[in-house]
Amino acid sequence: MRLTNIRVVGVHKAFRKRGKEVNALSDVSLRIGDRESFGILGPSGAGKTTLMRIIAGLEVPTRGDLYFDDELVSSEGRIIVPPQERNIGMVFQTWALYPNMSAYENIAFPLKNAKQKPSEIARKVEEVAETLEITHILDRRPSEISGGQQQRVALARALVKNPSVLLLDEPFSNLDAKVRDSARALVRKIQRDLQITTILVSHDPADIFANAERVGVIFDGKLVQVGSPSEVYSTPVSLGVARLIGDINDFEGEVAGSALSYGGFTIPLERSMNGKVRVGIRPENLRVAQGLIQDEDWLLMGKAVVQVSSYMGGVYKILVASSDHRDAVLSLISERPYQISEEVNVYVRKHGVMVFD
Amino acid sequence: MRSISRRKPRAHLAGSAVKYLVINIIAILWLIPVYSMIINGFKSDLAVTSTPVLVPPRTPTAGPYLAVVGPLARPILNSLIVAVSGSVIATILGTMGAYFFYSLSTSWRRTLTVLSDAVFAIIAMGTFIPYQSTIIPLTRLIVSLNGLDTFSGLIIAMLVFYVPTAALLMSIFLAVIPRSVVEAARIDSASELKILFRVVLPLAFPGFISTLIFVLIQTWNNFFIPLVLTTTPNMRLVPVAVQAYTGGYGTLYNESFAVAVLGSLVPLVIFIFLGRYFIRGLMALGAGKGV
Repeated sequence: MRLTNIRVVGVHKAFRKRGKEVNALSDVSLRIGDRESFGILGPSGAGKTTLMRIIAGLEVPTRGDLYFDDELVSSEGRIIVPPQERNIGMVFQTWALYPNMSAYENIAFPLKNAKQKPSEIARKVEEVAETLEITHILDRRPSEISGGQQQRVALARALVKNPSVLLLDEPFSNLDAKVRDSARALVRKIQRDLQITTILVSHDPADIFANAERVGVIFDGKLVQVGSPSEVYSTPVSLGVARLIGDINDFEGEVAGSALSYGGFTIPLERSMNGKVRVGIRPENLRVAQGLIQDEDWLLMGKAVVQVSSYMGGVYKILVASSDHRDAVLSLISERPYQISEEVNVYVRKHGVMVFD
Repeated sequence: MRSISRRKPRAHLAGSAVKYLVINIIAILWLIPVYSMIINGFKSDLAVTSTPVLVPPRTPTAGPYLAVVGPLARPILNSLIVAVSGSVIATILGTMGAYFFYSLSTSWRRTLTVLSDAVFAIIAMGTFIPYQSTIIPLTRLIVSLNGLDTFSGLIIAMLVFYVPTAALLMSIFLAVIPRSVVEAARIDSASELKILFRVVLPLAFPGFISTLIFVLIQTWNNFFIPLVLTTTPNMRLVPVAVQAYTGGYGTLYNESFAVAVLGSLVPLVIFIFLGRYFIRGLMALGAGKGV
């Protein structure tokens, strides 16, 4: 009995802080489909965890409705279906394991509460432990296992009851970089194998790219953009979203007709307009070369001087400044290093310029 | 740390010397009554009235201790029954109360959080009322329950005062346990009772022990309640028995000192064995977490 979808309708959440009303969420509407892996991306304090907690039933919406399938589960100021009846599995940012219980007991806890037969509990715990490769640490307590293993135990505890929705609140932020990638891959695999609706909250675009089919971006409590991660990456609705989802060069440029000028650079635009605009160019949409690049897709935008060239493992991060205007700086990735003060030609990819009004 | 001591080793040394001196003076001041209590119990009837209170006996005698140990056996047993069961029940009920308030205050229902604050304030005020001032209604309550001069009467009277104390203390300890663990248990469909005993209590266990010790010592040392609620010598608790050695016409100081030493042995032993939990509980508060 899987759930078809989750519908968030005009949800508004206000908190009271030192007598002042603070809007954590304003007018968020969203539909998350069956078996979809949905990511919620936003800077810290934007309200993404609040949204997840409202979906979990741990927080009550000040206004608006929340539906699981067509059942109203939360509404203006009340929780109609409490969290324990929503059939959700949740992995908390701190994992929230029960420190006094072994990994086995932690995972078995929801099943015991559901009064399942001991033989059934043992079978299910073994099964999920095998999938997550934690069979060998089942008799240990959370304090005796590594962070990555704790996270797997938390995931196992969320999955063992066969939930309709899996909620992951910043599940990778407490892991070291090394374990993080394998943890992301594991979550993705589980999500695919079990075909379970998943909602992942994160401030890290890498989590979203690895694990979400669709992403909703939250800024200051407002859902500003929903789309596939690559869509949001290449056509962000605002500079803020663009910055949040990846590295970007952002600057203010002057447009006259279809030519944008920034310092000594001249960037051809596809549409014509006039006045000052905010511009964003991703580092991978910029290239430098000593000679000329003979390629239709790359457009010359001017000469520049290399300021910084630093090794980043396989590639080099280059910072260049316009030859005429030293404060017009761009950062980009290059496959080879450059000498400081070397003069280079700067190219931009044809559709790689984002203009925000 | 090292660089500081290298720069001004003398000033550093002098500073810590002063610190230790002050600590030692305070410790000695604290120990003087204990010291005189112990040594005067070893003095004979003549020596205790003829020598200064801080001078140890020239010929120590175990006489006073031997004289009081028999009569004190019964009050110690009574006190153990009342204080141990009273404090255990009070701490468990207090913990349940504290968890109830914790649940109310973290509820999404606005009215419940307001109610929680209001009722909690009343209970907190209850713990500040001097129990002497409520002695008449308390006595009437215990009499109406047929509890005068019985263990159950004494225990109920202790509970009236120490359940709120335990609830107040435990709610301080519950406030610092991570909320997400309780939420996880709620999502895992655990009943409230199960959340309390399987999740919250283990996390707040050092705090629970601290509260238990505090309440145990309070009930053990409570003088007024057993004084009023016991009528026969057989039901006397230790503080009343100790007081009985102070006569109306003259006091045998050696025996009353001896009885005081024996009477404080039980809480002392409990504190020695459970003291580290007491400290751990307090440290858990300082560190901001219950584990």
